[in-house]
Amino acid sequence: MTRAMRFVLVAVMVSIALLAGCSSEDVAKKESTDKGNELVYATSKDINDMNPHFYTGSMPAQGMVYESLVENTEDGIKPLLAESWEISGDGKVYTFHLRKDVRFHDGEPFNAEAVKKNMEAVQSNASKHSWIKLSTKIVNCNVLDEYTVELVLSEPYYPTLVELSMTRPYVFISPNNFIDGGTKDGVSGYNGTGPYKLTEHKVDQYAVFEANDQYWGGAPKIKKITAKVLPAGETTFLALQKGEVNFVFTDDRGANSLDLEAMNQLVESGKYQIVRSQPMNTSMIVANSSKSGNPVHETAVREAIWYAIDRETISKQIFDGTEQAAYTLFSSNVNYADVELEKREFDLEKAKQILENAGWVLGKEGEFRTKDGNPLAMKFYYDVNSSSQKTMAEFIQNTMKKIGIQLEIIGEESSSIATRRSSGDYDLLFNQTWGLAYDPQSTIAAFTSKSSYFHSTSGIAKADELYQKIEQVMVSTDEQTRKSLYADILTIVHDEAVFIPITNGRVTILAPKNLQGLSFKQTQFELPFERMHFE
Amino acid sequence: MGRYITKRLLISIPLVLLISFVTFAFIHLSPLDPAEVVLHSQGVPKITEELIEQTKAELGMDQPFLTRYLRWAVSCLQLDFGKSYVNGKPVWSLLGPAFINTFKLTMVSAVSIVVLSIVLGVVCALKAGKMVDKSIRGASFFLTSMPSYWLAALMIWYFAVKLDWLPTSGMDSYKSYLLPVTVITINYAGIYFRIIRSSMLSNMNEDYVLYGRACGLPEKKITMHILRNSLQVAVSVFCMAIPIILGSTVVVENIFAWPGLGTLSVKSILSRDFPIIQAYVLVLAVAFILFNTISDIINAAMNPKVRNDL
Repeated sequence: MTRAMRFVLVAVMVSIALLAGCSSEDVAKKESTDKGNELVYATSKDINDMNPHFYTGSMPAQGMVYESLVENTEDGIKPLLAESWEISGDGKVYTFHLRKDVRFHDGEPFNAEAVKKNMEAVQSNASKHSWIKLSTKIVNCNVLDEYTVELVLSEPYYPTLVELSMTRPYVFISPNNFIDGGTKDGVSGYNGTGPYKLTEHKVDQYAVFEANDQYWGGAPKIKKITAKVLPAGETTFLALQKGEVNFVFTDDRGANSLDLEAMNQLVESGKYQIVRSQPMNTSMIVANSSKSGNPVHETAVREAIWYAIDRETISKQIFDGTEQAAYTLFSSNVNYADVELEKREFDLEKAKQILENAGWVLGKEGEFRTKDGNPLAMKFYYDVNSSSQKTMAEFIQNTMKKIGIQLEIIGEESSSIATRRSSGDYDLLFNQTWGLAYDPQSTIAAFTSKSSYFHSTSGIAKADELYQKIEQVMVSTDEQTRKSLYADILTIVHDEAVFIPITNGRVTILAPKNLQGLSFKQTQFELPFERMHFE
Repeated sequence: MGRYITKRLLISIPLVLLISFVTFAFIHLSPLDPAEVVLHSQGVPKITEELIEQTKAELGMDQPFLTRYLRWAVSCLQLDFGKSYVNGKPVWSLLGPAFINTFKLTMVSAVSIVVLSIVLGVVCALKAGKMVDKSIRGASFFLTSMPSYWLAALMIWYFAVKLDWLPTSGMDSYKSYLLPVTVITINYAGIYFRIIRSSMLSNMNEDYVLYGRACGLPEKKITMHILRNSLQVAVSVFCMAIPIILGSTVVVENIFAWPGLGTLSVKSILSRDFPIIQAYVLVLAVAFILFNTISDIINAAMNPKVRNDL
């Protein structure tokens, strides 16, 4: 008895000690949030490593802390850390005149020397940045005077400014945070030039960003933003109801932490509002045209699938009208994408006809089609964490059955789907274009990249022609030539039906009703928090 | 006694080695190329062959399997579990705090489970067959059968949102413990109090109870004797409950956004962060072995017969 009792006693004492250890100092701090001038947003992932020259960090968080030389806006490229710039006649030399009133969060001045050091830090790790073609073109970054830098390229490259405006990697961190003169082995702090500074980070719990009162664009009105790690679904919903969290938005994988019904319920409570961006990207089915021996290798089969998707019903029933049906890979508000393409509307008869003509015949009623004894069967992968993708996959599977196509739908983790995409081990899978700032150039450049869409584009008849044109368009300096090259590229992939569009995705924000100044950037990955304020 | 403890600990060494080998082998049987997994989990948008080769060399993946296992096993002994694929931080710096957070939750829950089980078990045994016994058993049956995520959601809604007494989630103060501990307690106490109750009941029929009564011992004293004997069974059960709770808080941690092992393990599995998964399995295995050993030692201390068996 005594020994057993002693064990229990020790256990009690240990746990009391542990409990006492979990500080009560935080108690007051976290009580309620809607009283103050602050935002607490729910995120399912930690902000992670905020090194701006890596890809592990959360993009919305990196967007608050770091800035680029120029900004991509609705009206084109605008000045940000660079006040103005000149491009040499041969298109190879970019000269940037920097703002003179910018300091990093640690007080270090932002000047030409800092730009050069950051550029070199990115370039020294160039193999990680090969997706951004600019990284293969930069030859030199020269300091001309304290506030003037020159970027020398190996050949003219028209998306230079667009790629310099992206959230990563060409953004600037204080050189004091460099380790061994660079950033590729990590950084010792996260001092950017942006409107917010990271002041506290508890891994997997929360991260606090405070307004940078010395911000060159004026101190932001929202003084404190907290990113709180919460699982998607019920907990987030209840935390929003209580006001522990007062802000959620579509995350960088395009998933929302709340379903539509939950959001509508919160709006009805009178405390919240929903704001939606313009269409930002296109969600689509990627078909693996290079998989010979599989039905998906045939253009006719891909075309039949395209005709057999009832996008209007998907838009109405699954998205409650919040996402519009898409009939082209890029919506017409995307640069260079206003191209005349055949509209393939939902038409089951037409889909059946195409399959018949291609030799896929129906045996008995209710069975699947075959050709030379091979069944018309394919595997279709979706992100198991996205409830809308799952519903869409089931819906599409059901319609395909009606025209004699057998779809096996398989839900997997997003990283596993990414691996399939790069190894070519799939027939069909869900994906989305990269968003306004990246479309069309980055998404199209990814057609040739093995880790992205190479497998889906390499099996078509005109593959060589397609790759040639993509190569040309990236280095072309003439606007008219670019337009016609993009039109050709988009026509080829449209005719071959390798990217089957479904709907146009938007970024959704759920915010307190009295929050004003809600707007969006040209990307689905960040939000301009510095423009928001409470009424 | 010292000899027993030494023997008991020696037996666990090959067991730990075996588990570590199986863990390592299973993860490396996975068809995925770890170098590609690393690059994917770092979010690198374009992966080239050259980059894969470079990453392989950096991670030492170009070495033969056994060399890699031995290197890993030796560094694990020094508590160096390698670096996370995703953010490059040492695994221990991520697993350590998560383990402590889950351990805190587990210990508090274990104490509350032990106290509640003993109280309920004794009451039910003493009043066996009466209304009190039946209604406690009925209620616990009902509560234990409720899925924990549902129970948790209900409790958050009622106590945190409606009554506004407690935080919905997170780990900010002692108040944050109340809801998750209650959910875990309800889930486990319902099982463990039955063990106490039935072992009390079987002890009540033993000869020593009859003898005590015959000698005119007061009822209270007899009950204490019964409880003492019943606890012997319970000690090993409770000891094993600790690693079981440690390993199964996933659901509760997820709902309450508790930054513990469950949350970390799920996150690592989703992002294929192999070094963390390996270390997690190993740490849990060691916890199981450790608590099993502790319970054996306690039992041996209480009962010399067990000591001589080994």
